[in-house]
Formats: sequence, structure tokens, C-alpha cells
Amino acid sequence: MPQAVIGIIGAGRVGTTVARRLLARRDSEIVVYDANPVVARRLVESLGGRRQGIVVGDQDRIRTCTVVVIACPAPHARAVEKLAMRGCNVVSTSDDADDVRDLLELDTSTSVIAGAAASPGLTGLISRHLAAKFDEVDEIHVASHGTGGPACAQQHHRALAGTSIGLHDGTWLKRPAGSGRELCWFPDPVGGHDCYRSESPDPMVLSRAFPSALRITARVSATRRDRLTSRLPMLTPPHPEGGLGAVRVEVRGWRADQRHVEVIGVAERLARLAGLVAAACAVAVEQGKISGGVHVLGSTQVPNDVILGAVTAEGIRLQEFIGTSSL
Amino acid sequence: MFSLFRRVLLVLSVAGAVAGVLRLKGNTKVTTKQGGWRDTGAG
Repeated sequence: MPQAVIGIIGAGRVGTTVARRLLARRDSEIVVYDANPVVARRLVESLGGRRQGIVVGDQDRIRTCTVVVIACPAPHARAVEKLAMRGCNVVSTSDDADDVRDLLELDTSTSVIAGAAASPGLTGLISRHLAAKFDEVDEIHVASHGTGGPACAQQHHRALAGTSIGLHDGTWLKRPAGSGRELCWFPDPVGGHDCYRSESPDPMVLSRAFPSALRITARVSATRRDRLTSRLPMLTPPHPEGGLGAVRVEVRGWRADQRHVEVIGVAERLARLAGLVAAACAVAVEQGKISGGVHVLGSTQVPNDVILGAVTAEGIRLQEFIGTSSL
Repeated sequence: MFSLFRRVLLVLSVAGAVAGVLRLKGNTKVTTKQGGWRDTGAG
């Protein structure tokens, strides 16, 4: 049986995690492409190169891959469309709202997973995991803290200056990003942080996965300085990688005719979370577990338990919030 | 000339005050805590 070939576009923090995870399986060849060939070559050499089954490829080589993981800065929609037309299955890690909206509108016969990162991505997996504890889910509220690589930090900066979208009683509401402060608790050692509305694609993605949900919001943590400077160019270059981040999902609904709330959080570097989710999605697609069309994580058409299991098998701890009775 | 000097001084003072507030207040530490976290063992 011929070995599957998985392509990775982008050799940054997320792309590196995807490459490491896929290489550890030792049953597929990895082709890495980056707009900066030096970065791609450095990643491939650090992971052992051709003898380990990982090589640098150009765009033509990427188009011949069975599955392609796009881990470069957004936008991804045009690249996904071109790859899908060539018969490639695609996993996109985009967390840009406009880009994800374009991805969700694509019409393709190959498998495409949109928003396979930490938020969106892991948030959908956790929401579906929590939904099993409810008779009916009607509210999902997600929050994230921290950033991954430099592109993620820039996206965080832009997201605080844009317009947030959220679902409120079945109606899409647009509010200025950076408003709506809420103190959100993340697993230790991250702790409590003030979180604000942001231009995140998470509500769109979660609404597609949970069409019955009436209220969906997404927030990111930010400081006063973040919010004050969000409409200016970044004053200092972003860090190569942010520190420990966190993701938190709060699901509300009905259980045994009573209101019920469940909260699960994960504390980990966001680039690692995004990379592990994207790699697990690529494996699921390669194994034919996901049908053709555009999918989001958390949707019933995706093997969410398998993907979440692959992520937690890498040492990611899901922690549930044990709140007070007034929660 | 003196007026220009005073104006520059005023701008620098205001900028310094804003920077000081942002630096001191930018990272709010939350000291109250409700509840805690426990491993789900899921996944």
C-alpha cells in the first residue's frame, strides 16, 4: 500500500508541532512548504530530514499531497479552494473571522476542516464532549488567554480592534471588539483574567456545529494596554512564542428539566494546542474518517472523540471547573 | 521659545503619566478566587 503524503504549509510554531506529531506516527511522508524556504529547511533538518520521512517541497509538490495542513497566517480560503480543486483534502488552522466565513461557504467534494486550531477547534471538540452531559445545549461561551506564534499575536491584536459577532437568542449581534469585559477563570497556573469580545470566528464555527444553540460568545483576555493600542500598528514586534495560554469552554443547557452549567478548561501553549488539533484532524482525514465537504470541529459529522482523544494522548489535560453553588 | 519648551514639557508629562498608568495598571492581578479545577480524565 502506498504511503500517504501529508503536506504542511507554514513552518512556524503551529506547523512545527504538526510536523513533530505526524512524524511520530511514522506511517506517512511529510512535505513542508513555507514562503521562506530557509525556515522550511531549518524545520526539516531539525526533524531529521529525508531519512526520517520529512522533506521540503514547493507549491507543486504540496498540490500532490493526500492531505494538506495549512498552518501559515490567514487568509487560507483561496489556497484551500485551489487545493480542493486539485483533489487535496485540507485542514485549515485559520482563526481569522472573514477567512473562516469564506471557508465555510466553499463548495467542495474533498474533505476540508475549517478552524482546526485552539479557538476555534479545540473549543468545538470540548463543546461536543460536554454536550453529552446535557439533554439540550442552548448556550456556549468560550474564552482564550495568550497567543501562539507571531502571526497569532498579530491576529490577537487585530481581533481587539475589529467587530465581534455573537449569537444572542438566535440573532447575530455585532459589537465593538474590546468591549464586554468579563472575568474568566482559566486552569492554574493561568488563573483569572479580564476577557473581552473579539473578532473571533468561534461563534460562527460553533453555531454550525450546534445549530440549536441560541447564545454563543467568544472572548479573549487582554490588558488595558492591549485594548488602548489595538487600533494602532503593533508598537513592539510580537514574541517568537507567547507563554502559557489557556482555553475555556462554558456550556449551558437543560438536564433532567433543570438548568445546568459545565465548564472545561485547558492550560497549555496555544501553538501546541493548535498544532495537536490540526495534526489529529489530518490523521482522521487521511484515514477516511471524515466525508467530503467543509466541516467544523464539534459537528456530528466529525469523529470528535477520536480527535480529542488524540490530543489528550499528547498530555493535554482537560480540567473541569468546580465552582460555587451560585455558578 | 520658552512657550515651546513648556509645551514640550507638558506633552512629555502627560505621555509619562499615561505610560505610568498603563504600566502599573495594565496587568490587573485578581486576588479573589471562587472554586477550582480538577482533571476530568477524559479524552
